[in-house]
Amino acid sequence: MQVHWRQSLMSYTFLAPALILLAVFTFYPLLYGAYLGFTEYNGARFANHLPPQWVGLRNFETVLGDPLFRTALGNSVKYLLVVPALQVASLAVAVLVAKNIPGIALFRAAYYVPVITSVSLAAVMWEWVFNREGTLNWLLRALHLTTPEAAFGWLNNEQWAFWAVMLVTFWRGFGYYMVLYLAGLQAIPEELEEAAILDGASAWQRFWRVTVPLMRPTILLCSLLSTIAALRVLEEVLVLTNGGPLNSTYTALMYVYAKAFQGFDFDYGLASAAGLVVALVALLLSALNFRFFHREEQA
Amino acid sequence: MKRSVKALTLGLALVASTASAQTTVTFWTWYLSPKFDGYIKDTISAFEKANPGIKVQWFDKQDSMVQDFIASVNLGSAPDVVNLNIDETQKAAQNGFLTAVNTLTSPATLRSTFYPQSLSNFTSAGNTYAYPWYGWLNEGVLLYNPDLFKKAGLTRAPRTASEMLSYAKTIKDKTGAYAWVPALKDPNTASFLGYFYAEGLPVTDGNGRAAFNTPAHASLLAQYVTLYRGGYVPEDAVRREAFQLATELYAQNRVAMIIGGPQALTRIKDTNPALYARTVVTQAPLGKAGVQTGGSMGLVIPKASKNPQAAAKLAAFFTNNANQLAFARVVPVVPTTKGAQTSTQFKTSGSDPVARATALVGASGRLINPGYRAPGNSDDLYKNFNDNIEAALLGKKTAQQALADAATYWNANLKK
Repeated sequence: MQVHWRQSLMSYTFLAPALILLAVFTFYPLLYGAYLGFTEYNGARFANHLPPQWVGLRNFETVLGDPLFRTALGNSVKYLLVVPALQVASLAVAVLVAKNIPGIALFRAAYYVPVITSVSLAAVMWEWVFNREGTLNWLLRALHLTTPEAAFGWLNNEQWAFWAVMLVTFWRGFGYYMVLYLAGLQAIPEELEEAAILDGASAWQRFWRVTVPLMRPTILLCSLLSTIAALRVLEEVLVLTNGGPLNSTYTALMYVYAKAFQGFDFDYGLASAAGLVVALVALLLSALNFRFFHREEQA
Repeated sequence: MKRSVKALTLGLALVASTASAQTTVTFWTWYLSPKFDGYIKDTISAFEKANPGIKVQWFDKQDSMVQDFIASVNLGSAPDVVNLNIDETQKAAQNGFLTAVNTLTSPATLRSTFYPQSLSNFTSAGNTYAYPWYGWLNEGVLLYNPDLFKKAGLTRAPRTASEMLSYAKTIKDKTGAYAWVPALKDPNTASFLGYFYAEGLPVTDGNGRAAFNTPAHASLLAQYVTLYRGGYVPEDAVRREAFQLATELYAQNRVAMIIGGPQALTRIKDTNPALYARTVVTQAPLGKAGVQTGGSMGLVIPKASKNPQAAAKLAAFFTNNANQLAFARVVPVVPTTKGAQTSTQFKTSGSDPVARATALVGASGRLINPGYRAPGNSDDLYKNFNDNIEAALLGKKTAQQALADAATYWNANLKK
């Protein structure tokens, strides 16, 4: 008993630094932010050193009653379409670059470059692509798919801007998930692959019967990460379209950002309430992800 | 021994009192470094020389200025003097972040130093919240590319706002270049309201309620909608700041005119020196009201400043006539001091386009007026106004409907 207690104390001693950091920089802001969602705390109260005032569910009523927030949340949910596309593409490419053939490191690095490219630099580059006189329209003209008269700026078009921005998100996230999948693939014991070959399994069968089942934890992790990232998309939208045209790219996090950080008219109460709604949606989708993959694993 | 201890104590007390007499004033500027380091540092040195008891710590802020300001108030380390524009000053004042400068400097001194309109721009609920600093005029000068004018068969610059609109079609049809980039919906403001003001149409009533939904307002917006939908205005004008877009496209020979201040020329000088040398500088056309729109920076004193008196001294020093004129010699800005109107500095100009443009606008600080006052809750109101302007431009609403919707939202969400 004494020994057990001592061991526990030692374990907690080792855990303490990380727990303290988490408590200060994660749990406290999280709980305080959640509390602010139920209070009135705006620029005027802040400037006059007045504490947050409890208002119950009023902020949630305001936020959910705001057509702009509903549009934003709808856009964020629609943005989740990037998740399966990202997962399929990054897993497929990870399988291709997992082979140890000469020069493959160069490919891996090339796919990872967008991840470490600053968003403002990426925005300038994609501006050149999506512009009316940009690369994409030039390419479409070269393929006789459009005419100069029919060309338009992709980021100025309310039907296409959303997909254009999503493509940038795809491009930025692709290398990151590919590296995660690559790590997962390299953790699969080679004997299993060899045994499957000896049993006469084709490459396609080996992929579906050996690789995918063993990659399930990695797929779950990547799906969760990209679901949360898609719901929290902000940077590329801010720099490319600022939420336009006609709010077609205005996301839930942009709404939160606008309420919390755009000048002296800020309203931390409303921003926190909107943030909590987004967090709830993220939790719900994460739970669905877990259920889906868990059931798959049991089957 | 006792005597030496006494002497030491006295000495230490003297040192301590000297140290405590030294006040440190924190000064934040906005997007002025590194380009204007020389001017700012020289002015600070001159101030410290004139005020031996005050030391100035200067920081230049960029994107995160407002956030840093709010965070510093929260942390109890607010700066003493902050450079804000008219809109942000109004918002900060409405929310109680600022000290009224007329409580630190006598109103008579303020009135004798600055143009009445400049003070009015920074006045909210009867108090002035900033020392007006450097400014600019939106219709200060017109710059045009003579080659594109020649190609379009035009022999002179447009003289009225309506002539400007007709030039848009002529230039685009004959040259393929756009005539100019109107400020349809610049971010973080409601730039189209400026066009109403320029045409003599009211923006708000005396209580700050929207008054921009009359048929006359709609007719003006409809003219811009027609231009935009006809392809006579760059598509990107609904997404990007007009000034940025205009300077970029002008340098590429894709826009024939820029309406604005000499500051546009400094960019063109860097990006296309040959075109800069050929650029013609002339008077800009005005709307029916014959007024100018424009903006200016101001120096504010946060309520949380621990040294408001010293801060006021520094702000008054930076914004005095001599220092504003000195700044106008470094960069083509428009001073907001009365003294600038009679300064010989703006009476002469050579053949250099920037010098010509500066001579045209330098003494016109009295005309600086955004044309509308930031309402309470302006972030939300501006966003909705811009969304409605965009809906009209993209053909989703009629001009009248867009303005009616914007006015309804404005009046329902206006916080006094």
